[in-house]
Amino acid sequence: MTSYTVYMDQLPGLLELWAREFQVHVPVEVENGIYDFVPWRKSEEIAWEYDVAYNPLKRFFLPPRETLLRFDPANCTAEVVCEAPRQLIFGMHPYDVKAANQLDTLMRKDVPDYNFITRKKNTVIFALEPAAVARNAFWASVDAHKVDAGYDLYWTRISSASFHVEVSTRRGKELLLAAGGLELSTAADREAARRAHQRIVKESLRDGLKYPWRETSDILNRAWDSTLWQHRARHCFSCGTCNLVCPTCYCFDMKEELDNTLTKGERYREWDGCMMDSFSRVAGDHNFRPHTRERFRHRYYRKGKYILDKTGQLGCVGCGRCVSGCTSGIADPKTVFNELWEADRHDS
Amino acid sequence: MTPDTLFQYVPSPATLVKKEKLSDFVTLFTFQPDNGKALMHKPGQFIMVSVYGVGEAPFSVSSPPNATGSTFELAVRRIGNVTNAMHNMREGQKVGIRGPYGSSFPVQDFVGKDTLFVAGGLGYIPLRSLLHYQLRHRDEFGRIIVMIGCRNPAERIFVDQIKELEAREDVEVYETVDCGDDNWCGNVGLITTLLPKIYIEPDITHVAMVGPPVMYKFVIQECRNLGISRESIYVSLERHMKCGIGKCGHCQINGLNACVEGPVFKYHDIQTTPEAL
Repeated sequence: MTSYTVYMDQLPGLLELWAREFQVHVPVEVENGIYDFVPWRKSEEIAWEYDVAYNPLKRFFLPPRETLLRFDPANCTAEVVCEAPRQLIFGMHPYDVKAANQLDTLMRKDVPDYNFITRKKNTVIFALEPAAVARNAFWASVDAHKVDAGYDLYWTRISSASFHVEVSTRRGKELLLAAGGLELSTAADREAARRAHQRIVKESLRDGLKYPWRETSDILNRAWDSTLWQHRARHCFSCGTCNLVCPTCYCFDMKEELDNTLTKGERYREWDGCMMDSFSRVAGDHNFRPHTRERFRHRYYRKGKYILDKTGQLGCVGCGRCVSGCTSGIADPKTVFNELWEADRHDS
Repeated sequence: MTPDTLFQYVPSPATLVKKEKLSDFVTLFTFQPDNGKALMHKPGQFIMVSVYGVGEAPFSVSSPPNATGSTFELAVRRIGNVTNAMHNMREGQKVGIRGPYGSSFPVQDFVGKDTLFVAGGLGYIPLRSLLHYQLRHRDEFGRIIVMIGCRNPAERIFVDQIKELEAREDVEVYETVDCGDDNWCGNVGLITTLLPKIYIEPDITHVAMVGPPVMYKFVIQECRNLGISRESIYVSLERHMKCGIGKCGHCQINGLNACVEGPVFKYHDIQTTPEAL
């Protein structure tokens, strides 16, 4: 695979070039120790060593609120809306790329979701080797430290002044070479990138799942009646934060609004979460998951079994956002799965 | 992506051509798609109906597959925003429709077999699609046994049509209500009280069942007691589909999407799915 060496002082020119064609988003420190992706500006200091972006990056493909239709109620007609800006996400960590790939797989299943797919197609992804592991992250233990697709370039910082950049797509290569030729990477640079990867993976493995993640589905097969669900969920506020910050959660609600004249309106979808009390409610006020323990269990089954059975991948990439976001400190997939594994070992 | 899938959320217009009150809360709506094309649905499938400015909701199609013409029927209980708006509509007004979606009762599997229909309350609405298909092709099917249960006589729907069914010699109809009134002379009790009263040949009987969530376990148990196999029992499970295409997550039953893998399931396939029944 072709790779190049890019020096820090070459970046401003490249970013300016890319920004002419794309909405470029980069990670920055928005508050002390808190990072998020923001639109790139010349003055913006990119946080190359960020640990995790506070908000999930699914928002670039599945916005929190997205208009799907504009309709005319009088004539009962509707037209499709698909706003898919050309955007470039620079600095996406591999676990987030993996989450985006998983969403892509699920959104293409059965009837493809045109809006999601079009947004994804219009997005250039420059992955970035993490240089720090967030306090609650465990991505290496669920194999989310590596991806082999879903990005255009893979950037690894190999010194204070240079990056090793591996090309994955033709689009990535063209953007990288847009300002002119670059040096092909040397064997020493490739070795430096490999070492950077190994170092960070080792750090991420310090705390994580205690068993091979593929076994999660089997463990859950035997855990339906575990007391853990009630034990942990009794502290749950059903606030849905774990759903909102999760990069692989994609459930949504459909709503609509008329304008002030009542002659035009739009139908939109917005993020919803299975931890919310209203999520499984049907007509007549019957609720198929009325208790927090049932919703809590559903969430972990979805992450650890349903998605795994469908796609072969764990529905959790170990980013740790849910752990940080949970107001009552119960939403830690690693702890939940490890506890279930321990109990399963003990029983068998 | 094919053109059909490009606009997965765009409804097409259909005109309300007839409205018929079935009970205090339930009305039968007959719609005609404006493009003149038949809905091409199968018994048990559902469509998404849009009342623009109010919202969109899923409804089982109550008429049989469109053998002739393109109209189709929805029987709708007034219970929420969309259904209220539908009840306030006049003939000639329009809604948006998309679908049909989901799985259906596999009519070919019922050919040559006896069919036991078990309808709890509004469960008769989706079952009516299969029932009327079988009546149209009466020679292809064995006995048709229809069991209908309601909470009380006032909630009975399709009363005249059920009288007509009762008058036929080739259909057996059994009704019950949980609580009778002064005029009710029929059976009183849960729908499970009807099952032991009839003779069923379990080896050649298929069951098609739709009703409130609480009904399924008990009726399935009765059917199993009668010797009907798990492979011969079909259920349609209600959930609130928001997208209809397996994306929004609202209708998930464990790992299954009721809008794609369901709403009609063979009991054999969901017996170990804890959230199903």
